[in-house]
Amino acid sequence: MAHSAVTSTDQYNYEIIKKFAIMAVVWAVLGMGAGVYIASELAWPFLNFDIAEITFGRLRPVHTTLVIFGFGGNALFATSYYVVQRTCQARLYSDALAGFTFWGWNLSLVLGVVGYMAGYSQGREYAEFIWPIDLLIAVTWVVYFWVFVQTLRRRSQPHIYVANWFYLAFILATALLHIFNNLAVPVSLFSLESYSLFSGVQDAMTQWWYGHNAVGFFLTAAFLGMMYYFVPKQAGRPVYSYRLSIIHFWALIFLYMWVGAHHLHWTALPDWTSSLAATFSILLLLPSWGGMINGIMTLSGAWDKLRSDPIMLFLITSLSFYGMSTFEGPMMSLKSVNALSHYTDWTVGHVHSGALGWVAMVSIGSFYHMVPRLWDTKIYSVKLIYVHFFLATIGIVLYITSMWVAGIGQGLMLRAFDEYGNLAYTFVESVTFLHGPYVVRAIGGMFFLTGAVIMAYNFYMTVRAAKREQAAIEAKIAAKMANA
Amino acid sequence: MMKHESIETNAGLLLVLTMLAISIGGLVEIVPLFYIDETIEKVEGVRPYTPLEQRGRDIYVREGCYTCHSQMVRPFRDEDLRYGHYSLAAESQYDHPFQWGSKRTGPDLARVGGKYSNEWHVQHLVAPRSVVPESIMPNYPWLLENDLAYSDIANRMRALKAVGVPYSLTDDEYQANVEKFGEDVARLLDINNAEANLLAQAQAGNYDGIPGRVTEMEALVAYLQVLGTMVDFSRYDEDYFVQFR
Amino acid sequence: MGNSKIVALVIFFTTYVGILLYVYASKRRSKRLESYKYIPLQDEEGADVDKKAESNHEQRD
Repeated sequence: MAHSAVTSTDQYNYEIIKKFAIMAVVWAVLGMGAGVYIASELAWPFLNFDIAEITFGRLRPVHTTLVIFGFGGNALFATSYYVVQRTCQARLYSDALAGFTFWGWNLSLVLGVVGYMAGYSQGREYAEFIWPIDLLIAVTWVVYFWVFVQTLRRRSQPHIYVANWFYLAFILATALLHIFNNLAVPVSLFSLESYSLFSGVQDAMTQWWYGHNAVGFFLTAAFLGMMYYFVPKQAGRPVYSYRLSIIHFWALIFLYMWVGAHHLHWTALPDWTSSLAATFSILLLLPSWGGMINGIMTLSGAWDKLRSDPIMLFLITSLSFYGMSTFEGPMMSLKSVNALSHYTDWTVGHVHSGALGWVAMVSIGSFYHMVPRLWDTKIYSVKLIYVHFFLATIGIVLYITSMWVAGIGQGLMLRAFDEYGNLAYTFVESVTFLHGPYVVRAIGGMFFLTGAVIMAYNFYMTVRAAKREQAAIEAKIAAKMANA
Repeated sequence: MMKHESIETNAGLLLVLTMLAISIGGLVEIVPLFYIDETIEKVEGVRPYTPLEQRGRDIYVREGCYTCHSQMVRPFRDEDLRYGHYSLAAESQYDHPFQWGSKRTGPDLARVGGKYSNEWHVQHLVAPRSVVPESIMPNYPWLLENDLAYSDIANRMRALKAVGVPYSLTDDEYQANVEKFGEDVARLLDINNAEANLLAQAQAGNYDGIPGRVTEMEALVAYLQVLGTMVDFSRYDEDYFVQFR
Repeated sequence: MGNSKIVALVIFFTTYVGILLYVYASKRRSKRLESYKYIPLQDEEGADVDKKAESNHEQRD
């Protein structure tokens, strides 16, 4: 064990991955905690406590930023640095620049969420960061891109493995989206506020081109990269079909960029744009399911692993949720379905079946695989992984079903007419109806959060044990040296 | 013939082709919106926000109102009955950033202007459940406590002018606004008188119900009261708007 | 503008079918492409020698 640890650190830069992994878990707990809190505010509004900093409107971007960019982002930095090194069999390019990406990214997150609570927001969903932070993120991202590409170029393996294609597409697309969506003119050089370059229709289109591709590239393509490495590794067998992965990659990255406007059905956006987006959304089902099949079928012939390996359970469940939400998504992009679902909690439920079911679960599975290897030890408790899995699954099911009830229920109430052709319900009657589902949703979130806390504890104990082992070995070596 | 291996073994080529694949969709859907004439309707009445209204809008963004309220009425019968005429692209052409929203935990606000009195808005923002018992909206008492910061209003209007809002600095720009919006409106859009205009509107409107003080509430209510009121729909034939959709 | 939508759609579709044919049509090429899927399983060499032994008894096709 000991000698392999030494060679690993020589061959690969694991220190930077450890830092990102730790921060991913920290942000996961904080971000999901914020999520549970704002979910509770909707169920019990007294929780806003008349404190400006913690009202729903200011905490909601804190939640989305911490889970997407904090948990998701740090998990992607960690796994991409891990995967690119191991599949290229090359050490990461420049420890210093990689270290810069860690500090740049996490400093942006801290400043961003403190800013939201203090009232500094651009008012763009999932892009609320104010302009100075946008600049810091842009610089960090360019460095990330550089580190990743330079590592690819140092590879001792002639081929670039498919996982890296997805990571590369994610890095490129995110740069493109971030820069164009955040174009703005500051109020003055020393003002933290700015006004967006675009307005109205053009601004809406740009923002949802960004917004949906944050889902498509940040939360899908990149996590598919994760899937293409960690599912085969954990299963101990190669991915089901390499040829399918080629089709999957090119079709997915091409199609995703078209679909953003399905968030703007029936709005003042010209009809052709959102109809085109809906068409491509349906087409997107093909590569999405191709990818899901590729991941799940990797286990073909070794299904018994699902009974003995809780990590595999996380990974395969994540792919099932991926399949489910990539079916639900195109369905919701149909104009007739969207007329009902848009503006309701159905959308919120859909996002979370993707975010909790797919993104979080595939990350959690990958982390349970990666963390013991990073610290060159064994996981503290396999039993706790099972506990985490069942808490997470129950949490997701409660979350999604309550949001289906809330969304479809509210959608139907708002379009109902009485026998005289008047509206059957006032808006606030639908709000009253939402209370029940909101309580269930908050409970579902608590289940998921509890699972995340257990994971954090499991990792903490794992790392602590690893450090003790390391110290014991070092003491032994020191003693030997002294004797000799 | 080109092999897929040439892409897989060449980071530069992989990069270029990936960039190509991800650029097409956005270009096809976004670029035409800036050039096609029919994107935005030609209607009378839509004007940039006054200094006070714009400050109210800033507060709307600051508090994250868009996380629960949309500003985009869709062309459905129930929405027409509940909110009014569906929203036109022209009505948000001066919105930097747009605040159409994506979720209605509360009702749509695109046409809330003029539906309730100033007093109702103040009461509702300070304590929503005192007027709507079933509401789940947070209380916003600090809006009434905080004085509005308006010393940088000219800078704000200059920044908005830089992104295309027709506020005027020079005499020519002022004259152009007189022609486009009429003299009364043009005067309000003059950056040189921004602070005086803001104070005058606050004094005349007394939106927060506190004479002599300009609170954040003043600006926010002034903004809410103008939402959706700029276009006079009785002047247009319904078929007129359809051609733009 | 008129025909551009159809033209674009035809171009995209033929590209897609082209990729499909390229990837799946030839048996030899298929075999070659599939051989790259073992890349992630090769990284055990050198680094984690002892873990390789652990996973080695797993059947690999």
